[in-house]
Amino acid sequence: MSLKDILSPFYVWKRAFEKPYTTANPLTDRPGAPRYRGFHDNDMEKCIGCGTCADICQNAAIDMVPVEGIQTSKEDSGLRPKIDYGRCCWCALCVDICTTNSLNMTREYTWVDTDPDKFRILAGAQENFWTGKETGYKLGEGYKLLDHDRITMPMVDPKEGIKSFIELVKGYSKEQAIKEADRCVQCGLCIATCPAHMDIPNYIKAIREDNIPEAVRILYETNPMSATCGRICTHRCEEVCSIGVNGDPIAIRWLKRYIIDQVDRKEIAKILRNEFKPNGKKVAVIGAGPAGLSAAYYLTTVGYSVTIFETNEKAGGMVRYGIPEYRMPYEQLDKDIDAILDMGVELKTGVEIGVTESFDDIYKNYDAVFLSVGLQDSYSLSITGEHLPGVIPGIQLLDDVTKGQIPDLGKKVIVIGGGNTAMDAARTARRLAANVTILYRRREEDMPADQEEIEEAKREGVKFITRAIPVHIDLGENKKIILHWNKAEMLDQGPGKRPKPVLIVGEAYTEAVDTVISAIGQSPIYKLLPEEIGSQIKFKREKVITDKYGQTSLPKIFAGGDIVNDIADAISAIADGHRAAQGIDLYLSKQVKVK
Amino acid sequence: MKEIIQRLKQQFTISNVNQQRVDLTFLSVKKEQAVSLISYLRDFEKFSHLVFLTAVDRVEDIQFQLTYMLHNYNTHQDLGIRVLIDREKAEMASIHHLWKQAGTYQRELKEMFGIDFPGSPRVDESFILEGWDNIPPMRRDFDTKKYSEETYFPRPGRESHDPESYMKSKLYPEGDA
Repeated sequence: MSLKDILSPFYVWKRAFEKPYTTANPLTDRPGAPRYRGFHDNDMEKCIGCGTCADICQNAAIDMVPVEGIQTSKEDSGLRPKIDYGRCCWCALCVDICTTNSLNMTREYTWVDTDPDKFRILAGAQENFWTGKETGYKLGEGYKLLDHDRITMPMVDPKEGIKSFIELVKGYSKEQAIKEADRCVQCGLCIATCPAHMDIPNYIKAIREDNIPEAVRILYETNPMSATCGRICTHRCEEVCSIGVNGDPIAIRWLKRYIIDQVDRKEIAKILRNEFKPNGKKVAVIGAGPAGLSAAYYLTTVGYSVTIFETNEKAGGMVRYGIPEYRMPYEQLDKDIDAILDMGVELKTGVEIGVTESFDDIYKNYDAVFLSVGLQDSYSLSITGEHLPGVIPGIQLLDDVTKGQIPDLGKKVIVIGGGNTAMDAARTARRLAANVTILYRRREEDMPADQEEIEEAKREGVKFITRAIPVHIDLGENKKIILHWNKAEMLDQGPGKRPKPVLIVGEAYTEAVDTVISAIGQSPIYKLLPEEIGSQIKFKREKVITDKYGQTSLPKIFAGGDIVNDIADAISAIADGHRAAQGIDLYLSKQVKVK
Repeated sequence: MKEIIQRLKQQFTISNVNQQRVDLTFLSVKKEQAVSLISYLRDFEKFSHLVFLTAVDRVEDIQFQLTYMLHNYNTHQDLGIRVLIDREKAEMASIHHLWKQAGTYQRELKEMFGIDFPGSPRVDESFILEGWDNIPPMRRDFDTKKYSEETYFPRPGRESHDPESYMKSKLYPEGDA
């Protein structure tokens, strides 16, 4: 040890009373870098609680928890992410994957507390010192984890399309379907909105894994008519798709169609392979539409012997007789129906209850009856001249065309209404070479028809006149029909209410056409029910009242489909049929075996 | 840069030359030629600084991609040298004799990816993962989420809900429409 080593500690003392070289901390504020990944902030209004942040978190740091004041709705699970900062590694994957861009990271990063539980935070729901502070991290330009663009569906050109009734949507190839399926984050938000609560995320997953048999099994758990629903479903699931918040929703309907397009009818039976024992009980189903077919399928799977009675020559109900072939090819509908019949369901067609078969006999001979007769009657326009020849209901036209009785509509056609039946009638008339105009009393945005139906009708050359109220119809020269209509204005009815169309005085118009098609809604015909039975069933505004299992006030009679639910679409009917099958099972065997 | 590439081509088999920015170029070279190419760049082309050495797990191709990033202080050019090596027998010649700090990078790659650099100083010692008992964590087949679920206990009081079943309980409990 040298002398220097001994003395050097004391040299320091000579500076003890000097002004220090170091300065007082000048950095009172130490802002994070522009893209700093600091404490999380979540926009409670934007967030839909899809839980994708929690799923992607590699440290399992995020819980999805209910938050006071946030209601669960079809678009919003009502849950919000709660982050455990004891686990978070600040990788920001949760921000990258956020479907709504509600979750962000601020540039704040220093926080001291002695209570470890304080470090579990409900970002955005509780006030923190970084609440409302500037956002830091953003995913780099050109990088993205979510794919917002739907795989374009190959379609027949509209000019070609209107020349025949050829199916317009061509369907996805395997490569396209897997790519589209890959966009799904499997949040499951869509399940609640689907009337049949189909397990959408898992059948999409099966597509991604190219496991078609598994996908078919999942479809049949909740819907035995996927070739149908894969084409004509109103697909409200897509309206709540979390990817749809910032991009195109997943093409759920077309992915469903892809699955069923991959298998033929015989394969379906093999995949479903049902080993039930007949339980000796008999159920009658009246009406072979989607509700009746669905109930028959689910009852058969647990051993009931089911007979369907149908007035028409073929099963399918409104899907066959009310939807044109370019949307719903008959052989595809047959595939669904045949797969159901393959299970052992008996179908009796050409049966008119009350004429060829008595309702009382059916009621006596069967252990339960499921009523699914649909809406057969067209709403009347309630204007003078509506009974003139040349004024026909839309469902009549569609029914005729299905049966091959092509009517002569003439050159100029007006369709009154704004629903899917109006679009179907108008586009069918286009295919019969007519010039078609749709007349609707409200605005285009008020039309109950699917948006794509409206757009496709326009592409096919259908003209639209909106805010137009038909006033009366009379006969013109050369068998022309003169439709008198009046322009309307929309009168606000207060918050939450539909604005009402009111005639504008002095704005009356006439239109001379060959055919007027009315498609403003349908109503049921209950004449098949004998008086003493009809009087025991409760109705509310023409609809049959049932419990949640479809049971009417007459315990042996169940009902479903358009005569029960207000939505009146195929998937709601299928869901009704499924629930009624559970209800009938519960009623007849005191337990629910139907899954 | 073009001249350098020309000179390199005379002596080495290089491919995928990609000038990404004015001052940033990448090229690929075979494993066998990599160390001599890097030595040449350091000693004759004035790429005197090793910026970093890193790896990407190309699990689908059963390969690792090593990237040696070199810098020339005179021209302020960056040159990335990409080398593909077999993933099953992940081994690469060491460059610690060219830059002493390369040994540290190689030790890290051994721990994080399981890529061996025989002869590199202390290459088998733990780098930051003392007591690690699993496959190297930066390998793509390492399931981070599963590992954290198995290794770390959830804090007491934590509970989470799955949106799908939570919505069912709120909107359509069993049997309800």
